[in-house]
Amino acid sequence: MTGVLELRNLSVALPLGGFFSRARLPILLDVDLSVARGESVALVGESGSGKTTLARAVMGLQHVTGGTVAFDGQVVEGAAGLARLRRDAAMMFQDATASLSPRLTVGYLVTEPFRIHGQPLPDPEGTARDLLAKVGLPPAIARRYPHELSGGQARRVGVARALALRPRLVIADEPTAGLDVSVQAEVLNLMSDLRAEMGLAYLIITHNLALVRHVADRVVVLYLGRIVEEGPTAQVFAAPAHPYTASLIAAEPRPDPRQRRTDLAIRGEVPSILRRPSGCEFHTRCPVARDICRHTAPALAPLGAGRQARCHFADQQQNQQGVKHAVEHR
Amino acid sequence: MSVLSVEDLSVSYRIPGGRLRAVRDVSLSVGRGEVLGIMGESGCGKSTLAAAMIGLLPAGASVDGGVIRLNGADMLRLPVDEQRRLRGQSVAMVFQDPMTAFNPVLTIGRQLADFIGAHDAARHNRADIAAMLEKVGIPDPARCLGRYPHELSGGMRQRVAIAAALLMQPDVLIADEPTTALDVTMEAQIIHLLRDLRTSFDGAIVIVTHHLGVIAELCDRVAVMYAGEVVEEAAVDALFHDPRHPYTRALLSCDPAVVQPGIGHLPTIGGRIPDLSALPPGCAFAARCAMTDATCASPVPRHRAAGRSVLCHRSKA
Repeated sequence: MTGVLELRNLSVALPLGGFFSRARLPILLDVDLSVARGESVALVGESGSGKTTLARAVMGLQHVTGGTVAFDGQVVEGAAGLARLRRDAAMMFQDATASLSPRLTVGYLVTEPFRIHGQPLPDPEGTARDLLAKVGLPPAIARRYPHELSGGQARRVGVARALALRPRLVIADEPTAGLDVSVQAEVLNLMSDLRAEMGLAYLIITHNLALVRHVADRVVVLYLGRIVEEGPTAQVFAAPAHPYTASLIAAEPRPDPRQRRTDLAIRGEVPSILRRPSGCEFHTRCPVARDICRHTAPALAPLGAGRQARCHFADQQQNQQGVKHAVEHR
Repeated sequence: MSVLSVEDLSVSYRIPGGRLRAVRDVSLSVGRGEVLGIMGESGCGKSTLAAAMIGLLPAGASVDGGVIRLNGADMLRLPVDEQRRLRGQSVAMVFQDPMTAFNPVLTIGRQLADFIGAHDAARHNRADIAAMLEKVGIPDPARCLGRYPHELSGGMRQRVAIAAALLMQPDVLIADEPTTALDVTMEAQIIHLLRDLRTSFDGAIVIVTHHLGVIAELCDRVAVMYAGEVVEEAAVDALFHDPRHPYTRALLSCDPAVVQPGIGHLPTIGGRIPDLSALPPGCAFAARCAMTDATCASPVPRHRAAGRSVLCHRSKA
């Protein structure tokens, strides 16, 4: 089955050193990822894991150094391919207010995609009204400017704009960042309604694991630009196969004072991509690392049931217990 | 005895055509070794309250009434210089964005020395500063002193900001959304650090956040703010396991981190915070509350019981 989005060996590297230097710094390494029609896939990882670079590479905002991006079964090539992709795949940006031009009204902003892509727009006001209604905003808001909107309203306008050309895929970069919990719940409900109604597929980039649990069918975990684990959300959260995934889940603050964590599952921060660790790149922070992890890099290996993980000990199903044990006995 | 307390404090902002009442009749106190959490949605007045506590209200804001006591001194009655001196000695603040808290063109070591110098030049030297950086978990503190803020990650900058605050040996540390800008792994580490500090540093900590997980992990007592008022105050366990105010209950039930996945739609509160320049009579939450009846339009009583207070007609403490 071909998905709506298929990434094959996608790699991004940035030039390093002087103008004449040919050295390149790898940011994303051989990422294979697919999003099926109507599917919702979450991409998680800490800052610096390459999540946003991946989204930018998909949208053609970042020069790709290797691999391919295919949309609807066709490899995206050249300006025409990119224009088609940008028409049928929309992006929801992290900072909703900043992504809206301050000098245009909401009504103009939500219909701007038609103008950009040269699509017919016989009734701009009616179209704006319909789009705003779809995201639960009153028609009067069409006359307002972005600075007059609350954070939740700006996010909804961002969604309306993304939906304008009836895309098949929406790439959402931290759709709930900076929102209050009740507004987060509203945005998540809106996203699932639109998915049911329009058959949208989502690629959601986030570090909010609660969001992942609620809206993603599948989760992909990135560490230093590589996929370290992938699988159906419920299974990955119930029994993470990679110690990094287990550590991320364990690090999430629990909204229950009776479940306070006594110690940390993970310390330090993502190593610099200028100095990638040897062997398994996670070994420097891994609570269950052994000798082999320091010198031999594990491959991303299938574990069955649509899951895969990049860990020497993933198939032993012990990582979750291992991390728990390491945390309790530190 | 409380280190810092406010009694019936009200703060408003001047806006065209009137006043926006951001904090209304708030009474709170925090003692040594205690962590007080102030939680609520954006626009409910929590940051204004924190700013008033440390005398950092922006231009256009004014204290309309009430008392702020710091180590027993009635701050608002003292001359401004004296207020500044007392605050400088005993209150330190950690902000949400640790980048903007530092001067980008000076090294970390120089800035930390300056912070201290403003209040007590002779007390510290480079070794003390390095020791404090080590205490907050900065690897290789001596090297960190020679670095510029942009060379540090967000988590490291927040640790340096906490170190800077602690170097003042404050009686009260106020942290406004200290983990909001950080990754979940770094957030866990900062929570851990603040929790450790609570035992080693004999002062009071006030955490302002909208993140329920941070409150649950870190605080002893919690004040829930809505539309400028403290609608409920309770010990953290009581607040999370036996919330009394309808707003607290609604807030806890709609956190995506609490709700089990797979239930379909998440609960929401619906509606918005009322316009703080034209507040409705009676309860400010009435328009969004499921329990509202005719009594809610009359002035709201505050019910008090052991360690708890609830501002509501329909719920008891």
